[in-house]
Amino acid sequence: MNVKTQNIQLEKFFNPDSVAVIGASNTPFNLGATICNALKHYLEFPGPVVAINRKAEEVSDYPGYSSVKDVPHDIDLAVIITPASVVPAFVKQCGEKGIRNIVIESAGFSEQGAEGKKLQMEINDYAKQYGIRFLGPNCLGVMNNVSRFCCFYGAYDGMVNAFNKAGGVSYVIQSGGVGVVIFESLMDDMQGINKMVSIGNKTDVDEADLLDYFNSDNTQVISMYLENVANGIKLMNVARRVRKPIMIFKSGRTEAGTAAALSHTAGMANNDVVFDSMCRQAGIIRLKSISELYSLPKMLTEMPLLRGNRIAAFTNSGAFGSISADIMTEAGLTIPRFSPETREKLSKIKGVFNINNPVDIGPALPQVYLDLIDIILAAPEIDGLLLMSSIWRDFIIDVIKEVMKMCKHYDKPAAIYTPNSISRIISVRKQFNIPIFDSLEEAVRALVVSYEQFRYLRKKER
Amino acid sequence: MDQILRKAIERGQKSLSEYESKAVIESAGVSITREKLARSREQAVTFAEEIGYPVALKGCSGALAHKTEAGVVKLNLTDAEAVREAYDEITGRVSKMDGVLVQEMIKGNREFVIGLTRDPQFGPCVMFGIGGIFTEVMKDVSFRIAPFTESDAEEMIEEIKMKKLLGEFRGSPAVDREALVRALVGIGELALRHSEIAEIDINPLIIAGNKPVAADALVILTG
Repeated sequence: MNVKTQNIQLEKFFNPDSVAVIGASNTPFNLGATICNALKHYLEFPGPVVAINRKAEEVSDYPGYSSVKDVPHDIDLAVIITPASVVPAFVKQCGEKGIRNIVIESAGFSEQGAEGKKLQMEINDYAKQYGIRFLGPNCLGVMNNVSRFCCFYGAYDGMVNAFNKAGGVSYVIQSGGVGVVIFESLMDDMQGINKMVSIGNKTDVDEADLLDYFNSDNTQVISMYLENVANGIKLMNVARRVRKPIMIFKSGRTEAGTAAALSHTAGMANNDVVFDSMCRQAGIIRLKSISELYSLPKMLTEMPLLRGNRIAAFTNSGAFGSISADIMTEAGLTIPRFSPETREKLSKIKGVFNINNPVDIGPALPQVYLDLIDIILAAPEIDGLLLMSSIWRDFIIDVIKEVMKMCKHYDKPAAIYTPNSISRIISVRKQFNIPIFDSLEEAVRALVVSYEQFRYLRKKER
Repeated sequence: MDQILRKAIERGQKSLSEYESKAVIESAGVSITREKLARSREQAVTFAEEIGYPVALKGCSGALAHKTEAGVVKLNLTDAEAVREAYDEITGRVSKMDGVLVQEMIKGNREFVIGLTRDPQFGPCVMFGIGGIFTEVMKDVSFRIAPFTESDAEEMIEEIKMKKLLGEFRGSPAVDREALVRALVGIGELALRHSEIAEIDINPLIIAGNKPVAADALVILTG
């Protein structure tokens, strides 16, 4: 299947016109019912939804049938959430009904012994026979905040806010738990989720297929949490042609190399080292923690890319100047001296003398800040800015907003950190839509990642 | 080279001897030490005189993956008498050998490693890093998945922590990076062409002047 045809079919996972939830019933604690409930009450999903259960009973006022074949209209997407043993029969039924997209949320397949593997084989055979693409098994399926569709089971009241906050980042996650951390954390941030897809055992649709899909839609940054890679070479080849930033946090870093390796080389090549090399080769940003999955994308959606490693640090407190210089040096960034021309320009600003990098000016009027930053961003010896100014007066917020405009003008990024309490950072960030990082370390890391993406892009365009 | 591999497989060897391994890596673009395989004591002396003293003598066999541990490596032999003595000692220790390798001693205080392994997911992976006896302790290495470009090879050279060793160092000139790049890319291509090669260790890769030269090599065959 070529990429274009595949993307058209995958689109139905994210934008179905009609949905069947197989296994949704009114039995207490029924998980399928939570999906119907979210579609009806949290998302007000506009298309027809049906519940498939033995008694053909209504769920959340959606009509019930005992088989998808009894449904009088076409169905774009089936969500199966039943015991594993009956999943193959439902897949077959879906195939006969003409359904080509299925989310299998049920668990108990290849992760659970020979019996599960046998069920998996049956599913694979039916999928092949009918041209069905499926997500999972053992997954949550998709969340689309733009078209407002979600089939995560167990959706709760708090998720309504996540649904209402569409943004530019799309996520591929191999664990629902990580998904929860991401969308709850983004509630406190200025970025939002475009789409999120939980891939579980990824027997059919895998991370590489989704990378291709997110490359074709309105996603700005693609972020992934992986526990393993379904097909390494495939992922590598797709990543090579994707220009959007790809960020991956992968667990399993410490897995040991082959103990029986004969050569010293094989003894040193554990799968984490090899995965790391693949990322560098294919232009994938490898993340260091779960929190980077949601904290870093805003640097890439809100700021121009960093085109070199020469940073000017700007602060209204000397301490942060020297602390940041340490962190930046450690991270491979440099803090160059200003050129005589730049120093000359800086010295003409009233009330400013002896300006070095890091720039520490103490309390000053907003226009002084802006004049300084304008000269610094215009300086050819500077590639980007680390802005560290505590919000000690509200006018600092206005200064930061002006700096964001200057960054676009000079095509150079600023990583912004305000040495304030987390609660103050969060409220300013949300209220004014400013990409402020939670810590200095995070802000420096954002610069590093921005520069990494710039180099990957240059490599991919070569 | 195809012949070397075919013969070794026919004989059921798990790995190639140093002599065979070096012929294989040389064909992939890696410079190797000047060396000849001697089958008698007097032939060893003749070869030593051709190559020029000092020389090293090494027992050569596909069954000998760890030569130093087996006591069949004699270094810094400066005259014919020392060569005869070393020859007898080596042949006395191990009976089944292809011969004794007479090899130039290369001078250079910088040692690197180039390696190859096959990852179950990504296939052939080439390694570059700090070589010598501390390779596995320092683990200052980088990998690339084959095939890769020359600029990938340059990046992997840049990735090692002790990359300063590649510059001018204690009176020695900067390392010929182009030769390193050729060797790395060449080993990757070798792996893609020959699935019968499972792993390779080129260690130490000694920098003689500014040229990387393989002083020892081990090619392990796919079982």
